[in-house]
Amino acid sequence: MKTIQKITKASLYLFLAVTLIIGCKKDKDSPKPSPINPPVNEEELITTVKITFVDTAGVEPTVTVFFRDPDGDGGNAPTQFDTIRLAANTIYSATIELFDESKNPVENITQEIQDEADEHIFCFTPTNVNLSIIRTDSDGTYEIGLTSQWTTGTTSVGTTQVVLKHQPSVKDGTCGPGDTDVELNFVTEIQ
Amino acid sequence: MKGLFLLLLLSIVGQSVVFTQTPSCEFTLSGIVIDEHDQQALSYSTIYIVELEKGYISDINGVFFAPNLCNKTYTLVIGHIGCEPDTIQISITENTKKTFYLEHHIEELKEFAIIENEIKPLSSVVKKELSFEELNKTRGKTLGESMKELTGVTSLTTGNSISKPVIHGMHSDRILILNNGVRQEGQQWGSEHAPEIDPFIANKLSVVKGAQSVRYGANAIGGVVLVDPSDLPNNTGVNGEIHAIGFSNGQQGVTSATLEGKSNKLFGVAWRVQGSLKKSGNVQAPNYFMKNTGMEEQNFSWALGLNKKKYGVELFYSQFNSTVGIFSAAHIGNLTDLQIAFLAEEPLEKSNFTYNIERPRQEIEHELFKVKSYIVTGKQGKLQLMYARQFNLRNEFDKHLPRGTEADLNIPELKFGLTTHTGDMIWEHERIKSLKGSVGINGIYQENTTQGRNFIPNFIKYSSGIFWIENWTSRDYKLQIEGGIRYDKIYQKAYVWKNQVLTEPDFNYENFSGTIGSVYKLTNKVTLGYNFGSAWRPPGINELFSDGVHHGAAAVEIGDRTLSPEKAYNNLFSVEYRAKKLLIQVEGYYNHIADYIYLAPELPPTLTIRGAFPTFRYKQTKATFKGVDTKVEYHFHKNVTYTGKVALIRAFDETAAEWLFGIPSDRFENGINFHVDSLKSLKNLFIGVSLQHVLKQTRYEANSDFVPPPKGYELLSLQAGLEMPLYKTKKQTVPLIIGMQINNLLNTTYRDYLNKFRYYSDEMGRNFILQLKTTF
Repeated sequence: MKTIQKITKASLYLFLAVTLIIGCKKDKDSPKPSPINPPVNEEELITTVKITFVDTAGVEPTVTVFFRDPDGDGGNAPTQFDTIRLAANTIYSATIELFDESKNPVENITQEIQDEADEHIFCFTPTNVNLSIIRTDSDGTYEIGLTSQWTTGTTSVGTTQVVLKHQPSVKDGTCGPGDTDVELNFVTEIQ
Repeated sequence: MKGLFLLLLLSIVGQSVVFTQTPSCEFTLSGIVIDEHDQQALSYSTIYIVELEKGYISDINGVFFAPNLCNKTYTLVIGHIGCEPDTIQISITENTKKTFYLEHHIEELKEFAIIENEIKPLSSVVKKELSFEELNKTRGKTLGESMKELTGVTSLTTGNSISKPVIHGMHSDRILILNNGVRQEGQQWGSEHAPEIDPFIANKLSVVKGAQSVRYGANAIGGVVLVDPSDLPNNTGVNGEIHAIGFSNGQQGVTSATLEGKSNKLFGVAWRVQGSLKKSGNVQAPNYFMKNTGMEEQNFSWALGLNKKKYGVELFYSQFNSTVGIFSAAHIGNLTDLQIAFLAEEPLEKSNFTYNIERPRQEIEHELFKVKSYIVTGKQGKLQLMYARQFNLRNEFDKHLPRGTEADLNIPELKFGLTTHTGDMIWEHERIKSLKGSVGINGIYQENTTQGRNFIPNFIKYSSGIFWIENWTSRDYKLQIEGGIRYDKIYQKAYVWKNQVLTEPDFNYENFSGTIGSVYKLTNKVTLGYNFGSAWRPPGINELFSDGVHHGAAAVEIGDRTLSPEKAYNNLFSVEYRAKKLLIQVEGYYNHIADYIYLAPELPPTLTIRGAFPTFRYKQTKATFKGVDTKVEYHFHKNVTYTGKVALIRAFDETAAEWLFGIPSDRFENGINFHVDSLKSLKNLFIGVSLQHVLKQTRYEANSDFVPPPKGYELLSLQAGLEMPLYKTKKQTVPLIIGMQINNLLNTTYRDYLNKFRYYSDEMGRNFILQLKTTF
């Protein structure tokens, strides 16, 4: 009988020690997430690209185009992907704005790109369209591309690729290094 | 008790009767086995003569006779319960008498020690194992890398630090890992999710197929990996083991220490504490450093056990913590980035050596707590109860820095928390006549929580199973038949949030699985084996629900909630020829999987803000996996051994008549090893060279991958080792075991088809490894 008591006592101590060790571990994860709680979406998405074209001469009307995929990659297809329609032989000043429309309220990401200008660059590549584009802003060393100048030629139809690269500590003024945040091929008409 | 012992005796005597005798040899060795410390005779010691493959047993006075010996040198392995077996060389020129001394630590033979040393089957139906010695050579490597030593096992890697075992072409959710008897439950579905296990816990690593896999439940389609620590010590006193390992590539250091003992007080509680540390910096391919490829690991475990004749309790706790840097240049935004990365001769992001681990990285923690107990029931039975709790935390940090405050830097973009409770109740019975077996039930409750990027949903899962295994052995131990049957039921409920609306789809799966196998000892030298088994696996959570761009894979993966479970029918044949100088093992397999789940390419590509991505949807098909593993060992001189290994595999989608994606290519390995048992005070000296030849995977479909598989390669490596006395005390000699290896000796530039980072970078270059170990 006595041995049994001893055993009980010993195992009690053991379990106490174990519970203590395990108990301590778990605390740091509190409050314990439950599967039923909605997920905390901490990620920042870029869901929307808006480009505004203003005629520097003030003659042609202002053009605004959107790309919108409010639920992000996958899931539902993008809801808006506009064609860029610009007047021939005109010099436009273009401004790019980026939004996260999956959030409520909608989040404007443009300023954050501006703040981290030395990690970002936009690249523009027109194909089969009489258009030349130059970036007009700078991070101090390299260009950024949030603002740019689009000079149109004669009537033509093609595409313009707009790329945003995220290049933390590897920015070299080209679109080579880094990860792609945005890569869109806008159908472009010069009319 | 006596019955058991008789069986033990019978098994040894029985085996010795089986072997034929050489008539021309007539000398007798009569010996007595004595305890080195107290000069007591060691009764019932086992004496095994390697050359003759014969075993003897000493009588109550420690005396044994080995008759019919020839005029030559024999190797004797002498063992006794509680002692380290001792290997002795002896030349016989006439009838010889000799006294053998064994180191023995137990004052008194404990009866349970005999229970633990139950009769081992003459060879388990289907089992491959990495012995203690072989495991020693892999010390410092990850579990996945260690297991590659087994024929037929390769590894699926993500860079240099993440490695998962691949058995006969199957991995992740298709194999089951048992960590100290507990089903390992982490986020196994991901190919970049390595098993969260410290290999230093194990003193045995094995792969089992056949009936034993029925014991552990669903998912054992490719096999079961057992990671087993040694039993807690039976003898009082304190023992320990220390490892220190250095790798030149990555300037990696690994150290591990184990301390174990048994107390005289506290009813004889045995205990063990173990810990290991690992740190590595950026590793080097032959021509460049790979940026952000360092890793860190801190692990510890403890165990307490009380083993009595009639009952026992064991507690085990382990914690695995690791931080793994993910090669920066492999994190890509879209298909164009992938194309640029692939065309680049060298990775676009350069680096030097550093121990710093930056984004992208993974931080993983795995905690296991286990209580196991047993009660002896009646004369032949043992009832085992086990409860285990696992907690797996996985934080994944993307390369993209979050745009925000400094505090945001430490928030992972993806966070998984998986809690699993496992319960087992198993009743085992010792041999009743020729049958030995077990019946049991298992239960699992699991809860997954995800935060961050939307990839897989939260879920809960209940799983229960019941099984029965029996093993029949003929009286002459020549034939063994093993069979098992199992029924499982799994309920899973997911919590899917979409556009702030919760849906709760649930799933019910149930299935029978079974296996039957046999081993037959045709002659002294030839053993034949065959096993047929069925296994199944419910669809993984990613296969049901993933919907989005798989980061790093540059592809959109779409799950399917209507997938049905995979059912596999596995055939396995084996032939073993084991003679004095030659060992040949051939294993062939033919596995048919109905409803094999795979990713099928789909058109059109998915348009996202980062461009168009190729799209893959999880689908099901009929698949076959067939292959052959061969191992040859030839001792053409007493000091020189040749080892050859071949592993071939063919995996085919029967419905589409296409090759399956991501299957290991044919591989061959040849090695020569020169070894000397002792040289003055040095022991177990060896030096060996091996050449591994991996062919290009030519069996693939043109549209299944972004680029064709990399070309084949050859790797030369060198190994050497010895054991020397570190210092001597009255009681014992403390040895220092030194191992040296040079992997990729010629600094060959190559890429491996099973490395996910094959698109971006070469494999690791030359690596010098120094392993030091001491036991006391």
